[in-house]
Parts: sequence; structure tokens; C-alpha cells
Amino acid sequence: MQKFRIRFFLFLNAVIVISSCNQYRHMQKIQSDESCIQKFKPVFTQVMYRTSADVIGKHLSGLLVFKFMADSSTRVVFSNEMGFSLFDFGFGPGNEFMVYQILPQFDKKSVIKTLRKDFELILFRNMDYPQYFTLKDSSLLYHAFPQTQGINYYITDTNCRQLVKMQRASNKKPVMEAYEIGDIQGNSPDSIQIRHLNFSLNISLKKITQIASQ
Amino acid sequence: MNQPETFKRSFAQATAATESIQADFIQEKTLTMLSEKINSKGKFWYRKKDFLRMEYVQPYVYLLILNGGNIFTKDGQKENKISAGSNRVFRQVNRILLDCVSGKMLENPDFQYRIFENSGSWLIELKPLEKNLQKLYKNINVIIDSKDYSAKSIEMVELSGDKTNIRFQNKELNAKIPDSVFLIP
Repeated sequence: MQKFRIRFFLFLNAVIVISSCNQYRHMQKIQSDESCIQKFKPVFTQVMYRTSADVIGKHLSGLLVFKFMADSSTRVVFSNEMGFSLFDFGFGPGNEFMVYQILPQFDKKSVIKTLRKDFELILFRNMDYPQYFTLKDSSLLYHAFPQTQGINYYITDTNCRQLVKMQRASNKKPVMEAYEIGDIQGNSPDSIQIRHLNFSLNISLKKITQIASQ
Repeated sequence: MNQPETFKRSFAQATAATESIQADFIQEKTLTMLSEKINSKGKFWYRKKDFLRMEYVQPYVYLLILNGGNIFTKDGQKENKISAGSNRVFRQVNRILLDCVSGKMLENPDFQYRIFENSGSWLIELKPLEKNLQKLYKNINVIIDSKDYSAKSIEMVELSGDKTNIRFQNKELNAKIPDSVFLIP
């Protein structure tokens, strides 16, 4: 009996800890509206961003180019200011992902996986509508798209007039947040801020109007 | 080229006599996937032995200073110091640039070279031999001005076919460049 009490007490404690960590638990599930979130999908026809990243005390900067290709894929290429290419990723029309090129220094599974997931969130990819659900708290709507691991949230005001932020989350709490600034609807955002919450990685993108001149 | 030894001798003499170079530059990045090119421009300073400053002014502001073994960069308000021994790739790339403007590229055992002659200029084609460099570059092409043996342009071709071409304009050789230009704050 004593053993049972101890086990029950430990189980109860675990339930309380798990419940208190779940930041989405208090929210109310409501009817989803697909048209709400689709209008915020950015269009990266061909755009270049001045980019800087701070990762675990190291600073990196360069130019990030997004280009929508004829085969309906999107290429994301990062090079430093002096022109040296650091990575070149391709996101296919479905859920395909391709590493065309990556600097050996960055060629690590964890680095590629993190960058892939970050870009998938801001490119509005892997939005499986049959699984889509919406949560509501006092002032915001959380449009949730379950992924293979975790959930991507697109967070709007309750009237669906503004995309407040985006989150990548585990089942319980956000692991990364992204903010877009500028006219997004039918366009590419003027700037994007990416902030990781479980380790030190911040990425800042600012649009450069002139992509090229001959 | 028919007489590479003659060229090498003249090139060595000319580069030995070049104490400094200051110029404007235009950088053209060609991404194989893009139909357009990414152009940027700025100011360039080099002084013997290992001092180099590149100031990008358009379409973004970026500063690179090489001072002896140390590297300083500034993008926007963010300053970054890279000490000797760290960030090998970044250091290798910068070393190539420094060697190409100082004329030391023919002495670098990490590359094999071929020399081609054209009217008014020579082309030095460098192919990496060192295995880390082979992962980065297919080849590097340096166009040398026949008038003063200084670099007219440096083209770095990556394995993917992406390339970066830096063209120098309004070159001034052996101008007095103060220490402050290469000072790392």
C-alpha cells in the first residue's frame, strides 16, 4: 500500500508538471477557417535579404535570396557579403527538400534540420488542412498545423486582420518564434525576425529592394 | 603561354615594387539558379604585407579589415573580430584575396596554376590542390594588367558553378595609405 501511495504521488506530480508546462493547454479549440491564414502566405518571387545570425556567441552575416522557380519549387541561397556561398536549399512543390550545396562547416544534420524547419515555417509549407485546427486564447487565434514532429502555429488577431507571429512548437511549448514586418499579403515581408527559444540562435532578415542590376 | 618564366620574373619584380593599391571595386555574384546577378560596389585598400580593407557601400554596407593575422568585419552596427586560428574557411577565402592582389598566388603550394596571354592582359588560372580548398572552389581566375602587373579582376568559381567576380577600377598604386585605414577598433 505504501509503495502504491508513493507511485501514485509521483504520477500525480508528473501530471501536474506536464500540465503546467503545456502553454497551449488553457486555450479553447474553435472552428477553423482556412481562408484566414492563406491570405498571409508571403510570395517570394525573387527577393534578397540582408541577413545576420547570432548563434551561440558567434556572428554571421550575408545575403539570403529566395527565388520561386519555374518548377514551382522555392530556392533559398545564403552567401556572405564577399560572394562566397554558404548554403543553397530547394523546397519542392510538395514536401520535398533538397540540399544543393552547403559549406562543409555547416554540413551537420542538426543545422540542416533546424534551418529547414525554420524556412518551412516562414514559407507556409507543410500545411496539411485535414489536420488543421484552431485554438483561441483571450486575444489571439492559434492556427495549428501538425508536423511530423511538433506543430507549426500561425498566430493572428481574433478578427484575422493581422498575422501577429509564427511559432514552431513541441506538443507543449514554442521552440522558435518568427515575426514578419511589412506588407505581407501577396508580397514578401520587409523584414523577418527569427528567435529560437531552446538555444541561442537569432536570425534577422531585412529586404534589399535592389536584387541586381546589370 | 610561350614564356611563363619571363612573365613570372616581370610579375615578381612588379609586385615586389608595389607597396600599396587603392581602388574602387565592383563585385558581381552569379548564382546559377538566378537569371540576374547580384552586384555590389565599394572601396578597396591594400598595403604590404598583409593589410587589406574592403568597404562595401552599395546595395549594403559592410566592412572587412585584414590586419596581419586578424580579421575584423562590421555589418550594420554589428562588429566581429576573428582572431588568428579561428574560422578556418573564412580565413582561407580572405587569404586567397590577399594573395591575388599582392601577387603571391604563384608561390602558394595549395594551388597549381596556368598562365594565358591575351592582348593587354594575362590570365592566371589557379586550381586548388589542398583538399579543403577543393571542396570550396573549382578554380580562381586572376586577370593581370599588362601595364603595371596589378590585378584587374579576380573571379572565384565555386563547385556549384556560382561565381564571384571582383573588378578593380580607378586603381592607384603606391599611394601613401595611413595606418588608420587598417586599424581594428
